[in-house]
Amino acid sequence: MTKKRNTFGEDELLDQEFNATQLKKLLKYLFAYSKEVGLALVVILISAVANLVTPLLLRYVIDDFIPNHNISGLIIASLGFIGIIIISTISMKYRIRFMSRLGQNVIRDIRHDLFAHIQTLPFTFFDSRPHGKILVRVVNYVNALSEVLSNGFINLIVDIFSFAMALIIMLTMSLPLTFTVLAFVPFAFAGITYVKNKQRKSMQEVSAKQSNMNAYIHESISGIKVTQSFTREDVNLKVFEELMDDYQDKWMESRRYIALIFPIVKNISIMSQGTMLVVALVLLKGQITAGVVVASLAYIGNFWMPLINISEFYNQLVSASAYLERIFETIDIKAEITNTKDAYDLPEVKGQITFDHVTFGYEKDHVILNDFCLDVQAGETIAFVGPTGAGKTTVVNLISRFYDVNTGAIRIDGHDIRDVTLHSLRGQLGIMMQDTFIFSGTIIDNIRYGRLDASDEEVIAAAKTVKAHDFIMDMAEDYHTEVNERGTRLSTGQRQLLSFARALLKDPKVLILDEATSSIDTQTEKAIQEGLDLLLTGRTSFVIAHRLSTIKKANRIIVINNKGIEEMGTHDELMENKGHYYELYQAQVKFLQEVG
Amino acid sequence: MFKTFKAMKSYIQPYKKLYISSALMTLVFALLAIVDPYLVGQIIDHVLTDQDTTFVIMGSLIIMGVTIFRTMLRYGYFVTFEKFSQKVVYDLRKDLYVKLQSLDFSYFDKTPNGQIMSKMTGDIEAIRHFFAWITHVTIFHSVVFIIAIIAMFMINPVLASTLILIVPFITFFSIRLSKSVKPIFAEIREQFSKLNTVVQENISGNKLVKALAREPYEIEKFQKENEAYKEKNMDAAKVWEDNLPALDAFAVLFNVVVLFVGSILILKGKMTIGELVAFNRLLWMINNPLRMLGWMINGTQNFVASFDRVKELLDEKSDLIEHKESIAHTHLKGYVRFEKVSFHYEDLPVLEDVSFEVNPGQTVGLLGSTGSGKSTLISLISRFYEATSGQILIDGEPIESYDIYTLRNNISIAMQDIFLFSDTIEGNIAYGVPDASRIKVRLAAEIAGVNEFIHQFDDNYDTIVGERGVGLSGGQRQRIALARAIIEDPAILILDDTTSAVDMETEYKILTELKKINENRTTFIIAHRISSVKDADIILVMDEGRIIERGTHTSLLEEQGYYYDVFTQQMGEFDVETREGA
Repeated sequence: MTKKRNTFGEDELLDQEFNATQLKKLLKYLFAYSKEVGLALVVILISAVANLVTPLLLRYVIDDFIPNHNISGLIIASLGFIGIIIISTISMKYRIRFMSRLGQNVIRDIRHDLFAHIQTLPFTFFDSRPHGKILVRVVNYVNALSEVLSNGFINLIVDIFSFAMALIIMLTMSLPLTFTVLAFVPFAFAGITYVKNKQRKSMQEVSAKQSNMNAYIHESISGIKVTQSFTREDVNLKVFEELMDDYQDKWMESRRYIALIFPIVKNISIMSQGTMLVVALVLLKGQITAGVVVASLAYIGNFWMPLINISEFYNQLVSASAYLERIFETIDIKAEITNTKDAYDLPEVKGQITFDHVTFGYEKDHVILNDFCLDVQAGETIAFVGPTGAGKTTVVNLISRFYDVNTGAIRIDGHDIRDVTLHSLRGQLGIMMQDTFIFSGTIIDNIRYGRLDASDEEVIAAAKTVKAHDFIMDMAEDYHTEVNERGTRLSTGQRQLLSFARALLKDPKVLILDEATSSIDTQTEKAIQEGLDLLLTGRTSFVIAHRLSTIKKANRIIVINNKGIEEMGTHDELMENKGHYYELYQAQVKFLQEVG
Repeated sequence: MFKTFKAMKSYIQPYKKLYISSALMTLVFALLAIVDPYLVGQIIDHVLTDQDTTFVIMGSLIIMGVTIFRTMLRYGYFVTFEKFSQKVVYDLRKDLYVKLQSLDFSYFDKTPNGQIMSKMTGDIEAIRHFFAWITHVTIFHSVVFIIAIIAMFMINPVLASTLILIVPFITFFSIRLSKSVKPIFAEIREQFSKLNTVVQENISGNKLVKALAREPYEIEKFQKENEAYKEKNMDAAKVWEDNLPALDAFAVLFNVVVLFVGSILILKGKMTIGELVAFNRLLWMINNPLRMLGWMINGTQNFVASFDRVKELLDEKSDLIEHKESIAHTHLKGYVRFEKVSFHYEDLPVLEDVSFEVNPGQTVGLLGSTGSGKSTLISLISRFYEATSGQILIDGEPIESYDIYTLRNNISIAMQDIFLFSDTIEGNIAYGVPDASRIKVRLAAEIAGVNEFIHQFDDNYDTIVGERGVGLSGGQRQRIALARAIIEDPAILILDDTTSAVDMETEYKILTELKKINENRTTFIIAHRISSVKDADIILVMDEGRIIERGTHTSLLEEQGYYYDVFTQQMGEFDVETREGA
C-alpha cells in the first residue's frame, strides 16, 4: 500500500508517458485486423484514382467537345462521370464498413484486455483509488480512441499518399517552385511541434481533471444516502463545481491549442502560395510558362491539404494519447499475485492446512502477524477471536492468497499455495465476507453466483437451509425479484442470508466465515445453525465471529492478539485457563446480566 | 428534435451573447470563404492573358490578408463555441447533480450506479459535441451552400435551377438516415449504460469476485455486453453504409448535370464557356455541404438520443413534496411520535400500524427479525421514504411541515450499510460538519472508539480510506460511521445496527460513553444483541412490520415473549457454559 492515496481531489500521477512502445502496442491491436486495414486502403485508393479522372473529363468537354459540337462525346463523358460516381459510391460504402469494423473491433479488444487484466489485480488496486476512476478508464477512455482508430490511421495513410503524389507532380513540373513551397514546410512543422508539446501537457491535465470529476460523481451517487442524511448537498455541490471548473479550465486551455493548428498551417500555406507566385512571375520571369504556374497553383492545394489533415490527425493522436497512456498504464500494472510459471492445479482438497512461520504486514512498518504457526487437521473448525484489527481477517486473506506472506509458507494438503493456480485454490474455498455484495439481477441469479451450473431446485434448497426462502417468497416476484447493488428492499441481514446461501451452494472444501452473520437476528441465526452445522461437518472451516454460539462449537478457538496466537484450545480448556478468552467471556456475561 | 431544442432553451438562453457572436464569426468566415478561390481564379486569368505581375502580387497580398483575418475568425469561433458548449454542459451537469442529490431513496434503490454514470459521462459528451462542433459545422456549410446558390443563379438561372433535380433524392436519403439512425443511437446509449453497469459492479464487487474465483464468468459477462456494444455501433455503421454514400453520390451527380446541361446550353448559345467554368468553380460549395449533411444529421440525432436520456433524469420527480410554509432553522428537541404509521413498498406492506412515542433524552431500542421493518421505520423519520398512511410528529408537528434540511440536520444516522468516502478518516468523521475543529473530531472519535485502532495506521487520522471504506474491517468502519453521526450533535441520534461487528467489550465501552452525551437527545438503537438494547427506556420488538412487544428490559422479560426468547437464547450461550465451566 502506498502512503499517498488517490482521491477525487488528487490528480493521478502518470507513471509512463505515451511512447514508441505504447504506439507499437496500439498498432498490434490494429494489425490483428490487417485484412480490414488492407481492404479499406484498396477501396480508398480506388475512389481516389477515380476522382483524379474527373478534371480530365472536364478538360475534354470544354476544350474539345463543346467547340466541336461533339454531342456523343458529351454523352460519353457524362456517362463516364456517372460511372466514376458509382465506383466512388460503392467504395465509400465498403470504406465505411471496413473502417467501422476495424475501429469497433479494436476498441472491443482493448476494452476486453483492460477488463480482463483488472480481474487479476489485487485488492489494493481497488482499495487505493476511487472506483469512478477505474470505471472511466474501462468505459469512457476506450471510447475516446474510437475516432483515432477508425478513421484516423487510414486517413493518415491516404494523406501521406496524396501528399507524396502532389510533391512528385510538382517536382516534375518545376524544381525551383517546388523548393520555394517546401521551404515553408519547416515553419509549419515548428508550429505544429510547438502546439503539440503544449497540447500534450494540457491534455494530460484534462484527463486527470476529468478523472477527478467523474470519480466525484461516482462517489456522490454511491454515497447519496449518507449525503442526504447528513444534509451535505450544498457542500458537495460546491466541491463538484470546483472540480467542474478545474476541468473546464484545462479543457478550454487544450482546445485553444487545438484551435491554433489550422491558423498556423493555413497561413503558412497561403504565404507559400504567394511567395511561389512572386518567384514564378517576378524573379523567374519568362523562365516559367503560364501553364506551369496555373498547374502549380492547383497542386499547391493538393500539397498543403494533406499536411493540414496530417497535423490535425497528429493532434488527435496527441489528445487520445492522454487516454491511451492511462489505458496502457493500467494494463501494465503487474498483478502482484499471479500463478507461477509452473503452477499446477491444486488437487481436490482434503483440508489439512499449515501455517509455517508466517510473517505478514500490509504495510512494511506494520507487521500484523509475526512468526505465526498453526496446523489445522482436515475437518477441523477453527474459530478466531480477538480485538478488531488484530489480524483475524488477515489470516483469512492469506489462506485465500489475496495477499502473499512476507516470509514463511502456507500449505494446503502439503501444497504451498503459491505453487498452485489461483483459480484452483480459490475455487475450492468458500469465503463469506463481511461485505456482502449483490449484483443487479434477480435473487435467484445472485445466489447462483456461488455455483453457476446449479439448478433452480438446488438454489432454492440452499435458500431454505439459510432460512432465506420465506422472505424471498414474500417478495413481489419471489426468486425472480430484481435487486441491485444497493439491494433494493433487502435489509443487511437479508443480504447476509443471500450471500450465505451463495457460499453454501458452492459446496466448498474449505469454508471461511468472516463475520458472516453479524446482522442476522438471533432467532434466524439459531434456525440456520442446524444448516450451518451440517455445512461445517467434514470440512475444514475458519470462523470469525463475535457471537459465542458459533465460536463455542469450534474444535479449537484461537485468540489472536499482539501479532500472533495468544491462546489456543477448546472452549472448556480456555475457560479453565482463565486467560484472555475467559475474561472476554465473563465480560460478555456481565454486560448481558447487568441491568442499567 | 424540436422538442429537444425547446427543452434545451433554458440552457442556451443565458449564453445568447456567446452563441450569437460565435455564430456571426462563423458566418463571416464562411462568407469570406469565397474570396480565396475567386481571387485565385482572377490571378490565373491574369497570368494566362497578360502576365500582369502587379495584379498577381496585389492579389496574393489580399489573399494573405484575408486568410489571416479568416484564420483569426476561425480561431475565434472555434474557441467561442467550445466555451459556449462548456457553459451549457456545465449547467446541465450541475442540474443533474443537484437533481441526483434531491432524489429520494426509492430512485436509487432501483437505478444501478452504472446507469447514472453513463448519463453523467457518455450522454453529456454527446451533448457537448453537438454544441461545440455540429453547431458551427452546420452554420458554415449552410452559409456556403446559400452563397453558392445565389451566385449560381446570378451566373445562369437556367443551369442553377437544375439543382432542383437532386433535391428530392437528397431529402429522401436525409430523412431516411435521420429516421433510421435515431433509434440506433438510443440503443447504443442504452447498451453503453449496460456496459457501464457491468464494469461498475465488477469493480465494486471485486472482493466477492475474487473470493468465489469468478473472474472467468465476470469476463464472459462483460464480454457479452462489450460485444453487444460493438454490434450496436456496427448497426449504426450499417445505416451509414446505406445512406451516406447515396447522399454523397447525389451531391456529385449534380456536377454531371451541370456539365451535361451546361454544355447543351452552350451549344444552343444560351451560355458562355466562361460561365460554365465559373459555375464549375462553385460546385465544391454545393458538394461539400451536402456531403457533410449526413454527419450533421448523425451528430444531431446522437445529441437528441443522449438528451432524451439526460432529460429522463432531470424530469425524475422526488416523492418528497415540500410544503411551502415549512418550518426552518429550528433546533428540535427530539420529541418523536408515530401515529398509526404504515408504509408499503410498491404493493408490499413493510410497516403496519406502528404507533409509539418518545421523549427527548430517552433511548428507544429496536429489536426484531431480519427484514421486520426496523430500518424502514427509522428511514421514515428522516423522510427518506414517505409513510403510506398515518402520521409522524416531531416536537408536536408533522414532519412534513419542516423544511427537509432542517429536519435532517437535526437527525443523525449511523447506517447499517456503511459508506465511507475516499477521504481521510478525519474527513469522513467530519462529513456532516466540514468545518468541525480537530478537537471536536477527536472527541467524537474517542466516544465512538475510533481512537482504539487509529494507531494501526501510519497516518492516523490523516489515513485515506477507500470508497466504501475498503481496507478497514467491519468493526472499524462502524466506529467511524458512529463518530460521523455523533459529531453532528443532533437532537435525534439513530444507530442502525452500528455495533454488530464490534466486539462486546468495545460495544459496552461505546454505549457507556454514548449514554453520557445523550442526556438530552432522543436515541434509537437497532440491534440484535440484547446487550445493545437492554438499557433503553423503551424497547420495541418488531415482527413483519408490526410492533409485537413493547416495554423495558425487565417488563419484557416478565412478558416471556419474543424478547424473552432472544434473551434466554443469548444468555443460554453463556448459562450452559458457565455452569459446565465453573
